[in-house]
Amino acid sequence: MLDSYLSGDTLIMEEVIDNQLSIQLYCMGFLPGEKITIERIAPFGDPLIISVDDTFISLRRDDAAKIRVKRAES
Amino acid sequence: MIESTLPKYASLKDEEKVRLILVGNPNSGKSSLFNSLTGLNQRVGNFPGVTVEKKTGEFRVSKTLKGEVIDLPGTYSLSPRSEDEQVTFDYLNDKSRKDIPEVVVVIADASNLKRNLLLASQLIDLEVPAVIALNMMDIVQRNDQEIDVKGLSKDLGVPIVPMNARIGKGMNELKEVIANFEYKPPKKFIEDHQSKDGLENTVERFDKIKSIVAKRLVDKGESVTAKTTRKIDQILVHPIWGYFIFLFILFLMFQAIFSWSNLPMDWIENGFLVFGQFMSEALPEGVLSDLLVDGVWAGLGGIIIFIPQITLLFTFIAILEDTGYLARVSYLMDALLKRFGLNGRSIIPLLGGAACAVPAIMSARTISNKKERLLTIFVTPLISCSARIPVYTLLIALVIPAEKQLWSFNLQGIVMMALYLLGFVAALATSLAMKYWVKSDERSHFIMELPIYRQPRWKNVFMTIYNKVKLFLVEAGKIIIAVSVILWVLSSYGPGDKMSAIDEKYERIGAFENSSGQKASEKLEASYAGHLGKAIEPAIRPLGFDWKIGISIITSFAAREVFVGTMATLYSVGDEENTLSIKEKMARAHDPKTGEKVYTKATGYSLLVFYAFALQCMATVAIVVKETGGWKWPLIQLAYMGILAYAASFIVFQIFS
Repeated sequence: MLDSYLSGDTLIMEEVIDNQLSIQLYCMGFLPGEKITIERIAPFGDPLIISVDDTFISLRRDDAAKIRVKRAES
Repeated sequence: MIESTLPKYASLKDEEKVRLILVGNPNSGKSSLFNSLTGLNQRVGNFPGVTVEKKTGEFRVSKTLKGEVIDLPGTYSLSPRSEDEQVTFDYLNDKSRKDIPEVVVVIADASNLKRNLLLASQLIDLEVPAVIALNMMDIVQRNDQEIDVKGLSKDLGVPIVPMNARIGKGMNELKEVIANFEYKPPKKFIEDHQSKDGLENTVERFDKIKSIVAKRLVDKGESVTAKTTRKIDQILVHPIWGYFIFLFILFLMFQAIFSWSNLPMDWIENGFLVFGQFMSEALPEGVLSDLLVDGVWAGLGGIIIFIPQITLLFTFIAILEDTGYLARVSYLMDALLKRFGLNGRSIIPLLGGAACAVPAIMSARTISNKKERLLTIFVTPLISCSARIPVYTLLIALVIPAEKQLWSFNLQGIVMMALYLLGFVAALATSLAMKYWVKSDERSHFIMELPIYRQPRWKNVFMTIYNKVKLFLVEAGKIIIAVSVILWVLSSYGPGDKMSAIDEKYERIGAFENSSGQKASEKLEASYAGHLGKAIEPAIRPLGFDWKIGISIITSFAAREVFVGTMATLYSVGDEENTLSIKEKMARAHDPKTGEKVYTKATGYSLLVFYAFALQCMATVAIVVKETGGWKWPLIQLAYMGILAYAASFIVFQIFS
C-alpha cells in the first residue's frame, strides 16, 4: 500500500480499494498503470504530496492506505 | 452521464448573439480567459437556489456578433462530487435555455494535457457544440514540448485554439473560430458511454487519451516548471520552515495593512471633513441639511475610510491564491485542522473570513465532508473580518497612543494582530468542542491539487479585488445609509415635549458658544435613541458600556461597521461646526455625572473583545441559513457567539478596571 513507502519513492499504481476514492483519483489523472512519485510527507506522516506527470496532489495517510502500488523498475 | 443536448443551429453566420459557456479543470486558467474576454463588463451573482458564485459578462465576438459569457465552476469531470461541480453538471444538462445559440468553450491546460482532455472528451460525447481553448501554451514551450494542434483537433473532431490567456494571446483567434463556428456532430470518443459506470468509463477514456497524446505531443526533455515548483516547495512547505514562513507572511500582511493604509485613510478622513463643512455652510439651514450632513454624509464617511485596508487585505489573499501558495497552506494546515474536526481546505474560508465571512462561508463548499463543512461554516464568523477593522481601528486609536512601541513594532498593530489571533483561537476551540457534539460517520478526505507556482496574473488579482470591494461597498453602503438616516431621526427627535423643553431652557438662559455642546448632549439623552440606549444600559453596565455604546451595539446588529457610522452620527449631533473627526470627539467624551473619560482602557478593551466575538452581521446569518438549509444552525451560532461575547467582555472589563 502507498502509505508504507517513503518520500522520493517512485511507484506504479495498481488499484484503489475504495470506489468513491478511486473515481476521484482517476479524474485527476491518478490511474492504474501510471507512474506516481511520493513528493513529500508532512511532519508526523500526514498528509502526503504525490505526483503523476506534472500534477501534484495532497492526500491523507488513511487514503494512501487504500492505494495498492508496486515499486517501479528503474 | 448526462444526456446530450443537441444544438439548435448549424452555423452562427446569421446569428446576432451567442452564449459562451466556459468549462474547465480547476487551475486551467478559466478566470484569466473570462477576464480577458469581458474586462470590466462582468457581473457576479448567484446561481438560482444555490450560492455558488455565478460570473457572467459581455463582449463582442465580431462586428455582427455579440457574445455573452458565463463562467462555470471548475471541475475535473462530469461525475459531480461537490456542490460546485454539481452546478456545472446541472447547467450543462439544463435544456430550458433556448433563447440564443450556445458554444461550450472547454479550457484545457496544455501543460497537463492528458488530465485536461478527460473533461473535453466527456463533453464531446454529449454532442454539445464545443471549442477547446488550449491554454498555457507558454508553459508547454518552456518545458520543451511540442503539441500538434491540428492533428489533435482532427483526432477529437472539434476546433482547437492554442492560447496563453494570461497575456491575452490567442484571444482574436478564439473569437474568429467562434464567429465562424459551424456545428458538426463529432464522432464518438468512446462507444456507448452512457451504459458504462463511472470507473469503467474513465479508464476507457484515459486509454484512448493516452494513445492520442502519445501521437500528438512530443516531449523533448524534463519539465522545467515542475522542477521549479519542486524547488520552491522545498522551502515553502518545508516541515519546519514552511510553518514559520506562513506565520511570517501573515505577520507582514497585517503590519502592511496597518502602515500602508494610514496615509490614504487620512486623506479620505480629511476630504470628508472638508466637504462636510462645506456642505453645512453652503446648504440652507434646516432639517434636510442636518440629515444630509450629520446623517448620511457622516455615516458614509465612516465606512469609505476603511476601503484602503479592505482593499489591501483582499489584495494579499488574491495574490497568495493566484500564485498557488494558498493550496500549500491548506496542505501545511491539514494535520492540525484535522484534529479540530476541520479540513486543510478550511484554511481558505478561515483566511477569507479575515476579509468577509459571507464569501468565505460560500467557499467552504469545496469541502465535500458535510460535518467538516458545517464546522467550518460555524466557526468562520469568529475570524475577525474587514467589517471589524473599522471598529478595531477606531477603538485601538482611541485607547492606545500611536507612538507606543513594543520591540520596535507599532503597538497598535500588535493589538490588532492579537485580536485576529483571539478570533482564530476561539474558532479552533469552538470547532474542537463541536467535533464531539456533532455526530457523523461520513469518511473525510483531503484530496487537493497543488498547482505549479506561477507569477500572479495581475488582471485576475485586480478583478477579484475590484469585485469584492464593490460588493462590500454596495452591500455595506446600502445598510449604512439606511441605518444612518434612521439613527439621525431617532437621535434628533424624542418622545413627549422633552426636546422642545430643552430648546426653551437654553433659549431662556441664552445659548452661548460653550454651552451648545452641553445642550446637544442633553437633547440626545432625551431623544428616542437615548431612551433606547438607556433601556439596555443596565444590562451592559457590567461590561463597561454606557447608553451611547448601547445604541451602537443595537444598530450594529445590521452590520458591525455601522458602529463607526453610528458613533459618527451620535457625536456629530452637538458638533455644530463639524470640525472634529469622530476619533477626537470620542476621545473628548466624558461621563456627565462622574466627569470621567468614557473611553478608558478597560471599556476600550472590553468593547474590542465584544466586537471580536459577537455575530453582528445580518448578511452572515442570511448566508448560513442558505448554506445549512435552515434556521437551526444560524440561530445556535447567533446565541453561542452572543453569550461568548458577553462573558468575555465582562471578564476583560473586570480585569482592566
